[in-house]
Amino acid sequence: MSSVQEFTCPCCAGAIEFDISSQKMKCPYCGTEFEMDSLKGYDECLKQDGQDEMNWQIPSGQWSEDEASGMRTYVCNSCGGEIMGDSTSAAADCPYCGNHVVMTNQFKGSLRPDYVIPFKLDKEAAKEALKKHLCGKRLLPKVFKNENHIDEIKGIYVPFWLFDADADAHIRYRATKLRRWSDSNYNYTETSFYTLERGGNIAFDNIPVDGSSKMADDLMESLEPFDTSQAVDFSTAYLAGYLADKYDVTAQESIGRANKRVKSSTEDAFRRTTNGYTSVTPEATTIRLSNGKAKYALYPVWILNTSWRGKKYTFAMNGQTGKFVGDLPLDKAAYKKWLIALSSAFGVISSALLLLLYYLL
Amino acid sequence: MKKKILSIIVALTVCLSCAFTAYAAEIPDSRLLPRLVDDADLLSDSEEGKLLATLDEISERQNCDVVVVTVDTIGDNTATEFADDFYDYNGYGAGKNRDGILLLISMADRDWAISTCGYGITAFTDAGQAYMVEQFKPALSDGDYYEAFDEYAALCDDFLTQAKNGKPYDNGNLPKEFPYVGLIICIGASIGVAFLVVNGMKNKLKSVRTKTDADAYVRQGSMRIAQNRDIFLYRTVNRTKRSTESNSGSSHSSGSSTHSSSSGTTHGGSSGKF
Repeated sequence: MSSVQEFTCPCCAGAIEFDISSQKMKCPYCGTEFEMDSLKGYDECLKQDGQDEMNWQIPSGQWSEDEASGMRTYVCNSCGGEIMGDSTSAAADCPYCGNHVVMTNQFKGSLRPDYVIPFKLDKEAAKEALKKHLCGKRLLPKVFKNENHIDEIKGIYVPFWLFDADADAHIRYRATKLRRWSDSNYNYTETSFYTLERGGNIAFDNIPVDGSSKMADDLMESLEPFDTSQAVDFSTAYLAGYLADKYDVTAQESIGRANKRVKSSTEDAFRRTTNGYTSVTPEATTIRLSNGKAKYALYPVWILNTSWRGKKYTFAMNGQTGKFVGDLPLDKAAYKKWLIALSSAFGVISSALLLLLYYLL
Repeated sequence: MKKKILSIIVALTVCLSCAFTAYAAEIPDSRLLPRLVDDADLLSDSEEGKLLATLDEISERQNCDVVVVTVDTIGDNTATEFADDFYDYNGYGAGKNRDGILLLISMADRDWAISTCGYGITAFTDAGQAYMVEQFKPALSDGDYYEAFDEYAALCDDFLTQAKNGKPYDNGNLPKEFPYVGLIICIGASIGVAFLVVNGMKNKLKSVRTKTDADAYVRQGSMRIAQNRDIFLYRTVNRTKRSTESNSGSSHSSGSSTHSSSSGTTHGGSSGKF
């Protein structure tokens, strides 16, 4: 008994037939011809496509009785922000909205962080970094530097979920090669299409995902990277004098973000093993994670809030590396002025050179 | 005595007639025409007056006839033959070499022809003529005849002046056109570059960006490749016709090509349709 094998056309997805005249496999719909071997390989490759399996183990560390008793939780009645601190740090204002916070008496469970990266840079360093951040920006409104005042600088331990995993990936890329030549009458462009199959393993350590909904994700991601080799096992002692945000985005909810980053990096990493192609785009990616594990860590962040002309600007500094980020307002008038000035300057110079050549040659 | 007188009269007559024939080998006065002949009546009287004055002024100053002729039809002749013959027959040309240039326009089949003679052959090279025609042909095609002829006259003046400097306009030595296109490109590119620079400044204000990859978190040396296969699927070939347009200036060899008119005079020239 022979089984009838059907191939789909890689070009248009139609069913391919054997063409007698050319003795090749040919798609009756788009007319593309294929070698039998190519189709077999392509078919095998398609069969390997599958569903992603990206399961993670969620942390479950609990506070000990002693630790819990030394902790305080504060709730902001204005924005709902919830922060924690040890009994020594008296939080008065909400680090997010600046309103008064109320101490709730009992410290409610939630999870105990696994790791913490202690602050390495102090408040003064954050102030300096802001000054530097404002320097050398020509389109920053001049008055912003003088008029803005830092409402408050707060050192906050921001909750992060750290994801570790070994990824077992099977990726199918569609690649093209271009070749151009010409004869006396025509220019030719030949496009060769390939399917590239890549499979293998790659491991990730400590991909951070911001676990606080109060902290903008993009702001926190801009602070990366943190050096996790300096992370230490959590102890409440590190919280003295600082505030710690309580996670309000669970590890489960953060997984999507981590998966996306794992997938994109895996595709990129394996794409770098291809060479000689004009374009390489992933067509199907299957990633199976093993040993997927999430950890709960607190990362040190300095938050600086400043308001200018009724608008709030938030800056953040990586409390470990000093990386400073925060979007700044644009001086539209200066933008136009620079555009016009530079256009005219370049225009005059290039025209003058052109005319000089015209009259000299 | 009578015989003697008769013989003197005969001799005189012979001499006179000889002199007359000799002169007739030149051109009889009746056939000499002005430097503008508008038989096709393309110009108004005032335009004719102005153009003729211009042509006369240039011709006398440059000592080389610059002529414009318009006709309704050239009969069975080619435009070049007609222009050559018109030039020869009507006695154009300055000096013993009959230096000059004639532009003929025939309306029947919208022919133009340039006929050059004597020093005109030197001053108006093939490439030079092609350049001139390029300049005034658009106006001709649009029916702006006065404008076209005026441009032609100005070009002739320029070409003659240049030729007298010892280096007639020719291939590789054509009048330079003002680089309008280059200027527009310069200005456009300047705005583009300025835009890039200013946007670069603008981007400096933005430091908050979402991270989409986890490249920084790949465990060192953890990557292992188990499958690695490149399968060729198919190829397609597109072809586009090459543009055969080449620089019109380079199609002319340098110098002037010449031919003989029906009367045996050497002419240079070119012709075409407008």
